Amino acid sequence: MMMASSNTPLLRARGLSKLYNGRGGCIGVDLDVYPGEVLCIVGESGSGKSTLLNALALRSPVNSGSLDYRTSEGEVLNLLTLSEQRRRLLSRTDWGFVHQNARDGLRSGVSAGANIGEPLMAVGARHYGRLRDAASDWMTRVELDPKRIDELPGAFSGGMQQRLQIARNLVTQPRLVFMDEPTAGLDVSVQARLLDLLRSLTSKLHLAAVIVTHDIGVARLLAHRLMVMKDGRVVESGLTDQVLDDPQHPYTQTLVASVLPA
Amino acid sequence: MNANTGLSNELAFAQRDALMLRAREIEKTFTLHSQGGVRIAALAGVSLDVERGECVVLSGASGAGKSTLLRCMYGNYLTTSGTIAIRDDSVAARHVTLSHATPHEVIRLRRTTMGYVSQFLRAIPRVASIDLVSEPLISRGVDEDEARSRAASLLESLNVPRRLWGLAPATFSGGEQQRVNIARGLIAEHPLLLLDEPTASLDAENRQVVANLVVAARERGAAIVGIFHDEDTRDRVATRVIRLETPVAQTTTNMEYLQAC
Repeated sequence: MMMASSNTPLLRARGLSKLYNGRGGCIGVDLDVYPGEVLCIVGESGSGKSTLLNALALRSPVNSGSLDYRTSEGEVLNLLTLSEQRRRLLSRTDWGFVHQNARDGLRSGVSAGANIGEPLMAVGARHYGRLRDAASDWMTRVELDPKRIDELPGAFSGGMQQRLQIARNLVTQPRLVFMDEPTAGLDVSVQARLLDLLRSLTSKLHLAAVIVTHDIGVARLLAHRLMVMKDGRVVESGLTDQVLDDPQHPYTQTLVASVLPA
Repeated sequence: MNANTGLSNELAFAQRDALMLRAREIEKTFTLHSQGGVRIAALAGVSLDVERGECVVLSGASGAGKSTLLRCMYGNYLTTSGTIAIRDDSVAARHVTLSHATPHEVIRLRRTTMGYVSQFLRAIPRVASIDLVSEPLISRGVDEDEARSRAASLLESLNVPRRLWGLAPATFSGGEQQRVNIARGLIAEHPLLLLDEPTASLDAENRQVVANLVVAARERGAAIVGIFHDEDTRDRVATRVIRLETPVAQTTTNMEYLQAC
């Protein structure tokens, strides 16, 4: 797999905590995401992995810690003190967020093409023909039939809606994409094709991604690095194959041992 | 063993241009938390220098830790104590110590320096054999057509039938999978090769082909550490044989756990 040439992280969290009524959530998380790198956060339900993802993507406020982002101009932004306006701009231009449920990431009332074109309009694109070309191009890239460009999202199957959501997120060429269980809830065969697509897109586009999953197989296939969470804390992290083949923490050992061999 | 074994890693890698890998007092103990914290000693103090143009064959009984040592050298297993240093001329110290390396450094070393052939193919599913084999070259920046044509000629020399090249190896026979695996491990001509029984599931003719490829890599100047159970192959490729002993007191069992069972 290609790795980033750059040695400076895009996103850096230190001691990041998000508590609900004084407990739960995620506690004291240190994390770096490098350009072009896929980082998977694994753990069971309630381990705090989605809470962490939402905190990193500025979708929910944190209680303490620091969170920095390095822009393509090399400027380091303190995300926690950034103005709401700057944050919104950042999430439109530099970031993507893929929800587990495609319905949460798509607008059901407008066509597939409009769903892909909208983020481009939000950053200033106006030319109808070019928007439509971009939408059609992205439908092809996520293996959707561009002839269906005028259909509503509801007309597509679950797996196709997820592809549409991915296209909507990648059309603005973000540097960093957050994904919350992107393949959960899909049929196994649909899951496999979506994983193949994600793997080839992240490597071709040199995209950095933080992916939350409870599925060790997804992590093994997509991630350069893994972080294992339990009870809101990171209990183990490292190179994907090392963590999965030689797990050190009791919880990681249980997690790996419960996967059926391929 | 080599001369100058007492040198510090800094001096050793600076003074000995041929030195590719240096392992010192490697210990590896597995702690199985889900089984009452049983500790299994796999390696108890292995030291080894490997130079360019050498093929060091690891021997020893099953359980002596041969595969474990190779996996430690590839950064797939963490060592419990001791150090493994790998040559890396792109850094000032001219080596990287695996136990202190970041995941990014290990990934970089795997791309530029270390190739590994596992006992069994564990490839990305649903990817055509030819693409699996050309991928290590493409990730090193080789042009895609060039990479595929080199992959094709390597698969050809390993007698993998052309009709299989476009297929994912999941349905191949053990021997065919292993030859795809070998092609993927050797194609990038890494200066350090770690080979875990690459010939185990092959017939005599294909063992011969693989032995020739290993010898060619050695003569090209690669440093090789391998496990070869087949004696003919071993005699053909080895410049040195190191015998690993099964660690004494291999397992310490937590008695309370046994009583609880």
